[in-house]
Amino acid sequence: MEFNLSENTTMVADTARRYLKDHYGFVTYNEQLNQTSHCDPARWGLMMELGWLGLPFPETVGGYGGELIDVAMIVRELGAALCLDPYVDLVVAPGKLLEYIGSERAIGLLQSIVENNEKVACAFYECRAGYNIHKPTSSIRGGKLSGQKSFVPDGGCASKVLVTARLGEELVLLVVPLESCKITRYRALDGSRYVDLVFHDIVFEDGMILLRGAETSRVISQVVAWLQALDCARMYGAANALYQRTLEYAKTRKQFGAAIGSFQVIQHYLVDMFTDLQQLESMLFMVSVKAELGNAQERDRACSAAKAYYADKAVKIAQQAIQIHGGIGVTEELDIGHYFRLMTHCSLTHGHRDYHLDRLASLSEVNGLG
Amino acid sequence: MNLEFTQEELDFQKSIRAWMRENVPEALERVSALGNMPTKSQQQQWERCLGKQGWLALTWPEQYGGPGWTATQRYIFDIERAMAGAPPTSPFGVAMVGPVIYTFGSPEQKERWLPGITSGETLWCQGYSEPNAGSDLASLKTRAERKQDHYLVNGQKIWTTQAHWADMMFCLVRTDPEAKKQQGISFLLIDMKTPGIEIRPIYSIDGHHHLNEVYFTDVEVPLENLVGQEGMGWTIAKFLLTHERTTIAGVADSYYALARMKQAIEDVPYYTDKPSARRRMAELEVELMALEYTNFRTVAATDEGKPFGPESSGLKIKGTELQQKMSQAMVEMGGLMSLAWDSSSVVGNESFNNAPRRYNFLRACTIYGGSNEIQKNVLAKMLLGL
Repeated sequence: MEFNLSENTTMVADTARRYLKDHYGFVTYNEQLNQTSHCDPARWGLMMELGWLGLPFPETVGGYGGELIDVAMIVRELGAALCLDPYVDLVVAPGKLLEYIGSERAIGLLQSIVENNEKVACAFYECRAGYNIHKPTSSIRGGKLSGQKSFVPDGGCASKVLVTARLGEELVLLVVPLESCKITRYRALDGSRYVDLVFHDIVFEDGMILLRGAETSRVISQVVAWLQALDCARMYGAANALYQRTLEYAKTRKQFGAAIGSFQVIQHYLVDMFTDLQQLESMLFMVSVKAELGNAQERDRACSAAKAYYADKAVKIAQQAIQIHGGIGVTEELDIGHYFRLMTHCSLTHGHRDYHLDRLASLSEVNGLG
Repeated sequence: MNLEFTQEELDFQKSIRAWMRENVPEALERVSALGNMPTKSQQQQWERCLGKQGWLALTWPEQYGGPGWTATQRYIFDIERAMAGAPPTSPFGVAMVGPVIYTFGSPEQKERWLPGITSGETLWCQGYSEPNAGSDLASLKTRAERKQDHYLVNGQKIWTTQAHWADMMFCLVRTDPEAKKQQGISFLLIDMKTPGIEIRPIYSIDGHHHLNEVYFTDVEVPLENLVGQEGMGWTIAKFLLTHERTTIAGVADSYYALARMKQAIEDVPYYTDKPSARRRMAELEVELMALEYTNFRTVAATDEGKPFGPESSGLKIKGTELQQKMSQAMVEMGGLMSLAWDSSSVVGNESFNNAPRRYNFLRACTIYGGSNEIQKNVLAKMLLGL
């Protein structure tokens, strides 16, 4: 076993950190919170220059053939910087989906993402279906697409959405222009921009279908595994930032004539945060490797374990960071509370703790004690 | 041992329940049902309505406007109030400054300030914390200098809940900078309309404005607004910490939160994971019951004339931990629905859409009113003798 990041991955992470230090801070974040479009053309251009738009994709489409761990290190830095640029939602998620579909049409669309000509979002979730991405209620009947999708993380700027729906008993993946849907835009818990879509009897054309049949479920599961690993990466970046800030605060904040870090209860809190953070990092390495595996069962076990662990421990770190900061920790003025919201948000996307514990239990059942 | 209410208490409960059904405004019920906070006018209207009944200053002696109820009756009232969807009374007037004034105040002060509190007309806020005096409250610096016919107040308070609503502030100020830390502190009543007071909002992570910074620049406060003597401020502050706090555990409002949680699950017909939601709620209910029965013991002891002292710190710790746990459970049960922060239309279920705001707000409940770490210090020292 070997846990060192490759030279290449280390470079990706270092570059990401430098880029964000130069181009994104808490001030930028607060401005972005009030904006309805989260795709800043200048930063999108810089991300393209850094090679991020092509990083996770094969060289055949103009990508760099990067691995999940490379993307995870970028997303970790995005989390640490509270960055709301929808890189994962508008590049990685639709891009991997289109890459796995692999048809000429899909690759064409992927290329336009890589070349920064088009913004495409994924619409996998519905209120009624909850976390079950394989059983949407949106459906095609009598030549019309009807139903609705919620929680579509489009950053306020996608022009197309990749939509799951049912055609008879079959699961299909469609590409739908956003302008043909009735939409409601809102801010999500972490500050990112979401859109809900209602399909009002959109005339269905065969050309909308990107993928159909059993393959559809398989491909979506593969992509969602990436997204689950990247949730963990984002949470790790935030948890580490919270730990660093809280440690610093404990050393400088004085009460009763001493730094509060000299009190044993605060020391124990911080040590708990530190040891949890170490285990969170281990889980991040684990899931960043395993979420790419071809073996679906091993992949999903890893993703569920990581997501369940993060929803527990990373959330606790955020709660503890607020408690140690006291009053200032619950204000909009300080970044601590914003990281806290990010953490809650990511603990609920792509399956919450109960969902993942249930899935892990059922996957382990099949596996037995081996 | 007897765990039942008497027939009189049951009759009392019935009459309170009926009154609540008649008198809690629908709009207020809706605010509570969604886990939101009332506006100033909603809150004040409700408190005036209670004031008219003589049901605002529940713990006060009858001579000052209390209803003359036993602690058990007050407890029953609190449960019925919460379950009817009415908010808790703002604590600053009835639970804090009122008892201070009738215990330490002059006859003139009692006459001047108590009626406004029992009627719900005067809104109060608490000027305690300062930027460098949080958990270490006694290091506060806001200065009140004694002049010919007034105190001249300069300094800053922070985390002042509802300062932007309040007519009056009760304030800990330093009158003697030479004296030892705790001894130079005095308890002053300050009219919020006095020139030289500036209020700046602090937005908290639920997205709302409850908290403020309050700045004092050469604020003139009449000498007669001093409660007790100069230097008695710390004694008064400590008195408040051990003053009857049989509702500090928040049992009533937690029962209401649990009921809302159950309702939200039932309101979502397609909620997929009811068994695990039910199990989770049962776990919370068990903890709530343990808190409730501990709370009952403080209530019974109070009625026997043996009120709890520092033990109420234990109720605060357990009560606030449970409030946080419940609000977190609500967010987690909501799953994706909890992600819709400010949608103009309901996404799945409105209670779940709103759940994160309450969860975020309640992160403060283990911090305010003396952080739980400070409460544990109090218990260790005063009860365990450590």
